[in-house]
Amino acid sequence: MSLESLFTAAFLVPLLQTTLRSTTTLLLTALGGMFSERSGVVNIALEGMIIFGALTAAVSAQLMEAPYLAENPGARVWWIPWVAVLLAMVVGAFIGWIHAVVSIKYKADQIISGTAINLLAAGLPSLVLAYFYDNTTASKELVNRLPEWLGFSPLVYLAFALVPITWYVMFKTPWGLRLRSVGEHPEAADTMGINVFRTRYTAVILSGVLAGLAGAFLSIGVLNQFVRNMSAGQGFIALAALIFGKWHPIGVLGATLLFGFAKALAIQLGGGDIMPPTVIEAFPFIITMLVLAGFVGTSRPPKAIGKPYEK
Amino acid sequence: MNRVWLALTSVLFLLLLALSPWAVALRAFGGKGVLVTLWGTVDLYGRAKALPDVSWLGYFTAFWVALALIAAVAAFLPEMRTRARVYYALGLLGVAVFALEAYLFYHAVWTVNDAAMAAGARRPPLKRYSLSLGAYVTVLYSLFLLAVGRLQLPGGRALLVRWRGVIVPAVSMLLAMVAGAAVVWLLKDVKLPEGGGTLTYLAAKLDLVTYTFQLLFGPLLTASGWFQSLLIATPLIFTGLAVAFGFKAGLFNIGAPGQLTIGAIMTMLVGVHLANAHWFAGLPDGVARAIFLPLSILAAAAGGALWGAIPGWLKARFGAHEVINTIMMNYIAASIFLFMIAANEYTFFGKWTLHMPFKFPGYEARSYEVAESARIPLMVNLFGFQQDTSGAWTGALSWSLPLALVAMVAAYVLLARLELGKRLLAALGAGVLGYFVGGFLPGIPMELSPKLASVRLNGAFVIAAFAVAFYNYYMWRTRDGYELRAVGLAPKAAEYGGVSIAKKTILAMAISGALAGLAATHYVLGGGIDEYRLKQSLPTNVGFDGIAVALLGQNTPIGVFLSALLFGVLLTGGLQLDLQLGISRELVMMLQALIVLFIAAGGFLPRYFTDPILAAQAEEGVQGVI
Repeated sequence: MSLESLFTAAFLVPLLQTTLRSTTTLLLTALGGMFSERSGVVNIALEGMIIFGALTAAVSAQLMEAPYLAENPGARVWWIPWVAVLLAMVVGAFIGWIHAVVSIKYKADQIISGTAINLLAAGLPSLVLAYFYDNTTASKELVNRLPEWLGFSPLVYLAFALVPITWYVMFKTPWGLRLRSVGEHPEAADTMGINVFRTRYTAVILSGVLAGLAGAFLSIGVLNQFVRNMSAGQGFIALAALIFGKWHPIGVLGATLLFGFAKALAIQLGGGDIMPPTVIEAFPFIITMLVLAGFVGTSRPPKAIGKPYEK
Repeated sequence: MNRVWLALTSVLFLLLLALSPWAVALRAFGGKGVLVTLWGTVDLYGRAKALPDVSWLGYFTAFWVALALIAAVAAFLPEMRTRARVYYALGLLGVAVFALEAYLFYHAVWTVNDAAMAAGARRPPLKRYSLSLGAYVTVLYSLFLLAVGRLQLPGGRALLVRWRGVIVPAVSMLLAMVAGAAVVWLLKDVKLPEGGGTLTYLAAKLDLVTYTFQLLFGPLLTASGWFQSLLIATPLIFTGLAVAFGFKAGLFNIGAPGQLTIGAIMTMLVGVHLANAHWFAGLPDGVARAIFLPLSILAAAAGGALWGAIPGWLKARFGAHEVINTIMMNYIAASIFLFMIAANEYTFFGKWTLHMPFKFPGYEARSYEVAESARIPLMVNLFGFQQDTSGAWTGALSWSLPLALVAMVAAYVLLARLELGKRLLAALGAGVLGYFVGGFLPGIPMELSPKLASVRLNGAFVIAAFAVAFYNYYMWRTRDGYELRAVGLAPKAAEYGGVSIAKKTILAMAISGALAGLAATHYVLGGGIDEYRLKQSLPTNVGFDGIAVALLGQNTPIGVFLSALLFGVLLTGGLQLDLQLGISRELVMMLQALIVLFIAAGGFLPRYFTDPILAAQAEEGVQGVI
């Protein structure tokens, strides 16, 4: 592959498509993380939530389709991937609830609590995989993945549609105002009669739902199975995108597009001899660090972030 | 102690006593056992020939029921001291009866085995017998009653609060084990004998769960198990110290995997390529060793320090949070690592080719071998043993290491009047002297068992021990350490006191990274990954394990050491778990994650355990807190 070949349609069109796909995971996760962080709870557990969502979607879809496949190999059952996505969201919500209980009710250090969930996501999937598939690294490949509409998974459209929706919810509804007030000044919010704990619980659980959705997109939208460590740091990059995007939906969109592009570039260049793949794989991470160093000073986090609320 | 809690615990105790297998008379490979329960024998193995006579078990059951009843009733005694005396008496009685039962059980087993051997059997019919959950709960309940007795007396709760540094991790550990047991219960099926009902099913499941933990803690029972656990604990000590060091300075270093990786690369560069360089070829062995071994170790520390200092600097200079940056740097380090050892030729933009000398030829991604002069010797070598041509490990147990240890401790204790720095230097000097004097003394000739000698515990363990001592000294005995802790506890106050937070952040991250980097000495220089090379299988995950180690050890030197050892035991036992029950070793990883989660939540204990201010009030017995 020569340098000139990088500027042909044969390279650029797939690059654009891959960018949109890799942005989707980051965008869904980062928008979810925005709810949690705007309410004052750091959510470093996004990475683990993606993994649990991906695992749930892949394993549940595979188990649901198994009886149909026994009758007719290659059977397409339209509702299976959607139920799997729903289950992934439920599990994401459950993990979010765990993070919420530990960090809101028991006032744990939110970063440690999130790290614990990430560690859990590194260990528990292999036990589950071993139980269902006698294999600790990947689930069985499945037939009923998410459909594609005009070349993209429906979740891609959903992710981009969620940007204006979150913006509206966050800045134009009373609930959004309450959420932000809880993250900025919980004491004041409490005085005004807002239930700080309940608002935070909702926000953290919501972030779990969206991260679970992102995981489902990875395992049954992009691939057709769960692979160990398949999220490969995207939860953390989403968190960085959140900081870079100044905790604002539009900013987050821009940031995730940048990181998505870096990742897509890495994927598209992967096979060629432009750069060694090991170097390319480090790109998104290096860019994340540079961006954080350059922009974090101008980005102001919610004031009460990371602090447990003492009533 | 709340009466309701006491009653609930007693009910739980009786329930577990009734349902669990009390002992296992025979355990076959694969975990199938012959279970002795209070209501009869459950033979999951199916081929048991002889059973121990445990007809006396019924009397003891009656005793335990009575004990639990008395304990529940005693809660209503009016006088505090009487209650305490009753619980002490019940607890001591319980422990004694447990000991008696244990003796009777083992005696019964030995009787059967002796009889069979006398009758001409080739091997004893009962093997791998042990007490089981039903027996364990009796002794645990007795200890619980003793604790209840202490709590009845004045200052009882303050005592608990004072020991919260031990109680919170212990409770978290216990909860994690219960959750781990639930996962095993759910994910692992049991095969029941014909006609087994619900009781049999419950007993079989409880036996499975008990056996899981018996296997996990099994290494504690053998010498080679201990050594294997120390071997696995060695890198955990380093990474645990690294994370603990960060915590003490108010930083969360999740970057130990990356720091370890860069440390490994640096030590590989020095230990392989510098030490093997042709212009050092003429050096005598001893001189080469004296130069390259310390240099390689320092290189590991320097690599880790560099990789830790970068996020430290980014935080100090730009305010970028160290958690995200250290995580990013883990991925970057992994890329660099593969870049170095996965191939020797890379093409850029289809034109330029980069040649590198680091990958060893062949399919596997690994480096060249570390030079002899830069290798850390195995502990068996340090103790004076060599493998002879027949493969047996023979030699004389050298006095070097024991004498060095004794000399060091003696000097430290005897020179109590010196200033601390001089005292430590003197102790160190005495240790070195002891080592050499010990080398001249005639050792005790003996042969090591092959099992023990096969454990590749190496000198990196000694470095780890020194790292623990360094952490203790630096963090609690020097001005720098004091300032670091001040920054960790109250950054604003420390800054007001004249401490530069920026400098301390970089320093703390660098030292923390250096500690993580030193773990590479175990893997590369000590042959921790089976060969004296850098290999793709470098288990960088121990960097994450360090988080659990630091939290479980509550960031104290001795705590980190002990919890690293504990995880070493569990991971060693995990091998057996995989082998015997087919339960993946990942169970241990899950336990670690849960321990971190539960400790973060303060073990779900009341707030006065976890909050220092409330704890202080509780200790003073302020009304309304408890």
